Amino acid sequence: MTVLRARGARFVRDGRELVAPFSLALAAGETRTLELPEPAAAGIAARMCAAIVKPTEGSIYVGEYETRLQPPQCKRLVGFADGAGFDGDDHAFRCEIGFRADVWGLDAREAQARGRAVLDALGDGDYARGVALALVPDVALVVLDRPPGRVVSRVRALAPAAGILRTR
Amino acid sequence: MQFALIGTISYLFGRLFTDALLIFGIVGFVSAASVVDQQHRKLLRRLTFFAAPLYGRELARAHVIAPAAAALSVPLGYLSGAALQGRALPAPFAVALVLAALVAATVSLSSAFRDGYRAALYVGLAGLAALGLGLPFELRLAAAAQTSAVLAAIEGFFALRAFGETLARYDPLPER
Repeated sequence: MTVLRARGARFVRDGRELVAPFSLALAAGETRTLELPEPAAAGIAARMCAAIVKPTEGSIYVGEYETRLQPPQCKRLVGFADGAGFDGDDHAFRCEIGFRADVWGLDAREAQARGRAVLDALGDGDYARGVALALVPDVALVVLDRPPGRVVSRVRALAPAAGILRTR
Repeated sequence: MQFALIGTISYLFGRLFTDALLIFGIVGFVSAASVVDQQHRKLLRRLTFFAAPLYGRELARAHVIAPAAAALSVPLGYLSGAALQGRALPAPFAVALVLAALVAATVSLSSAFRDGYRAALYVGLAGLAALGLGLPFELRLAAAAQTSAVLAAIEGFFALRAFGETLARYDPLPER
């Protein structure tokens, strides 16, 4: 099953092309890397694939939903880990998990346990916390914005059925 | 903190501000500015809400509630200071002042997702929106409170719609 499909997706802001057109297809259980020339472009492309930023041209589908027309449906299937990670303290981290549990309709206690378990598996650090938040719900697609080190392999172990896209 | 500051200013200098328009303008402008200071702008722009599967109206509500509630400290601080000084303002006036702060905060939220002069324009617009609610009192209309409430409902409706549009058009790009 294809979890992510991009065709000629491009991002332009104020007349400047920030992300050149890219196309890709990602199946469930597959891992792919999207390479871009600059860190800023990688960050934007990751957000495009996570339905957070709308492409200026082209199309991106998460599952069967198009990111420009049906962003909430797309976001429900995506766990996104920002390149900057999550820099809040423990209390903020628990609040974020609680928020995700509420929005994704999860049991609050199970969500907290899941977040904590994922964080224990990944180790501490801002990026690990960001990934832990992304994996609280059971998502079909995990988008990792410029992940460091061996995060991808650890995420694969935690979400074996998900499609994983990382930007670099 | 804001509540205490505004309350103190109101207590000490409230007698200087007897003009309804001036009171509404000050409360409205301060409410608008308080919503979009640097710290709040950073919080409003954070990724949490934009990465969540929320529909437009849910996203707007998620963004509006906290800043609007915080902006209430401005009119409540002003009214408390006035009351402590023995100048308790009539209830209809007080209610209209609270509505003005809420409307100004809602209008001002659109500036949090803009930069430069466009952001400043929205804060100015928010102040004007609050002034509009003080106009019925300034003109000493017979149904000033009711007129102000109707104006607040209209302004608030359009402010929320505009804010929804702002959110729909906003692309949360990573900081460089």
